[in-house]
Amino acid sequence: MRPSRAVAVHATLGAVSVVMLVPFYWVLKTSLTGENIFQYPPALLPRVMHPFYYVDVWYYIPFVRYVINSVIVSVIVVAANLVCNALAAYALTLRFRGKRAIVALLLSCMLIPFQATIIPAYLITKELHLLNSHLGLALPLCSTIVCIFVFKASFDAVPRSLIDAARIDGLAEWRIILHVMLPLSTSAVATTVILSFIWSWNSFLWPLIVIRNQEMQTLPLGLSTFLSYMENTTGALYAFCIMVLVPGVALFLLEQRRFIDGLTSGATKG
Amino acid sequence: MQSWSPFKPSTFAGLTHYQELFFYDEVFWKSLWNTVVFMSSSPIAIGLALALALLVDTRIRGRGVYRAIIFISYPLMTVAVGIIWRWLYDEKVGLINYVLLSLHLTQRRIAFLDSYEWAMPSVVVAAVWQIVGFFMVILLAGLQNIPPNLEEAAALDGASAGQRFRHITLPLLRPAIFLCLMIGVINSFTSFDLIYVMTGGGPNYATEVLITYIYRVAFVLSKFDYAAALTIVLFVFLLIVTAVANRLTGGEAGAVDAAE
Repeated sequence: MRPSRAVAVHATLGAVSVVMLVPFYWVLKTSLTGENIFQYPPALLPRVMHPFYYVDVWYYIPFVRYVINSVIVSVIVVAANLVCNALAAYALTLRFRGKRAIVALLLSCMLIPFQATIIPAYLITKELHLLNSHLGLALPLCSTIVCIFVFKASFDAVPRSLIDAARIDGLAEWRIILHVMLPLSTSAVATTVILSFIWSWNSFLWPLIVIRNQEMQTLPLGLSTFLSYMENTTGALYAFCIMVLVPGVALFLLEQRRFIDGLTSGATKG
Repeated sequence: MQSWSPFKPSTFAGLTHYQELFFYDEVFWKSLWNTVVFMSSSPIAIGLALALALLVDTRIRGRGVYRAIIFISYPLMTVAVGIIWRWLYDEKVGLINYVLLSLHLTQRRIAFLDSYEWAMPSVVVAAVWQIVGFFMVILLAGLQNIPPNLEEAAALDGASAGQRFRHITLPLLRPAIFLCLMIGVINSFTSFDLIYVMTGGGPNYATEVLITYIYRVAFVLSKFDYAAALTIVLFVFLLIVTAVANRLTGGEAGAVDAAE
C-alpha cells in the first residue's frame, strides 16, 4: 500500500476510535477526579485524582448487595446453560423419530425474541411463586437455542468411531458426554459461557418486571433506580457506571479473541 | 384475546382489543411508526460498519487494536451506556453541547433528549454507536472468506477498485450483510433498555416504540390483555419485516443447514 493511503486509513480509523472512546474517557475522567459536574467550561484533562464519587457510591447504595445478586443469577444461568444446552445438543446428534420436526421447531422459535414473550413469562413465573427470587430471575435465560446449535455443530465434528469405541468400552451415555464430547468442544463451552454470562449480567427488562424490592435488585436495575432518584447530574452515578462496566471490559481485554468469536458465532451459527 | 387482568375474572373479549388498537389508540400508531424509524438506523449502522470493515481489512499496523476499540461498546451493559449518553446529551452539563458551542456549530444549547424533534435522532445515534462494532466484525469475517485470487484476477483484467467492490466484494458479502440486517431488525424491535433509560419513551411519545409501550401497558397500567394484543401485533410485524428482508436479499443467507 502507498504510504499516503496508509496515512489516510490511519487517520479515518483514528478518528472513529476517538468517537468510540470519548464517552468512556469522559465518564472515567469525571468519576476519578470527583470534579463538579456543573463546572463550565468543563476541564478536558483530569487535574487531581480523587476517589470522592466512589466513596459516595459506597455510602449511597447497597453496591455489594447488587453485585451478589448479579453474581448469583449469572452463576445459575451459566451453569444451567451448559447443562441444558449440552444435553439437548447431544440428543440432537442421535437418531430418533421426529428429530427433523424438533429441529424445525427450535429453528423457528429462534425468531421469537424474548421481549415478545414477557407477558406469558411473567404469568408463569407468578404461578410458580418465583417472583422476586434469584431462580425466577434466572429461569427465562436458562437455555438458549443458539447455544444448542453451537454445541451441536461441535458435537457433530467429533468422529463417530470415537463415540462407538467409548460405547463398546461400556461408557454410559452421560459419561460419553462428560468425558468424550465436552473435552473436545472447549470452544463451544467458551462460547456458551461468554454468551450466557453477558446476557444475564446485562439483562434489564426481565429484572425490572420481576423484582419488587431493593434487596433483590441486580446491578442494571440498581443503576436505573439510582438514576431515577438522583437524576443524571450526580457524579456518583458515573462512578457506579464505571464499577458496573469494569468486569465486562476486563473480560473482553483478557479473552479478546474468544470473546469476539463467541459473540459473533452466537449470531452466525444460528 | 381474552379480557384478563390480575384483578378481573377472565371473559372472552373477541376482537375488541384489536379494534381499540387499530382505530382508537393513537399512541399505538405513534409507537409503530417510531419502531419503523428506529429500525431505519440499522442500514445506517451497516453502511458505516461496512466502510470500517473495509478499512480494518487493509494491511495496516494496529488493525487488531482498532477492531477491539470499535467493538468494545457492543458487549457492555446497555443501561450504563444509556446513562452515559444521557449525560453527554444533557442540555446544561453535556459534552456534546459544549463541543457544539465551542465550535460555533450552534448558537443556543440544544436539549437533545427533551425536545420532540431531537429525541429520536439522539437515541438512534447512541444505538448505532453501540452496535456498529458488532456489525463490523461480522462483515469483516465475511470479507475474509472471499478468496483473494478473485480480486487479483479481476485486477489483472483491468477492473477498477470501484468495479471490483461492486461486482465481486458486494455480491459475495451479501450473506453477511443480510445477517447484519436481520440482527439489526430484531434488535430494533427489542431494544428496550437504551430507550427506557435515555428517554423513557418521551417527550410526548417522541421515542415510544412498541416494546416500551408494551412494557408500560402491561406493567405500569396493569392491562395485560391489551398488552398481549400489542405483543401479537409486534410479532406479526416482525415476521412481515423479516420475510420482506429475506425476499429482498434473495433469501440464501437465511438458509441454515437444518437437519444433519
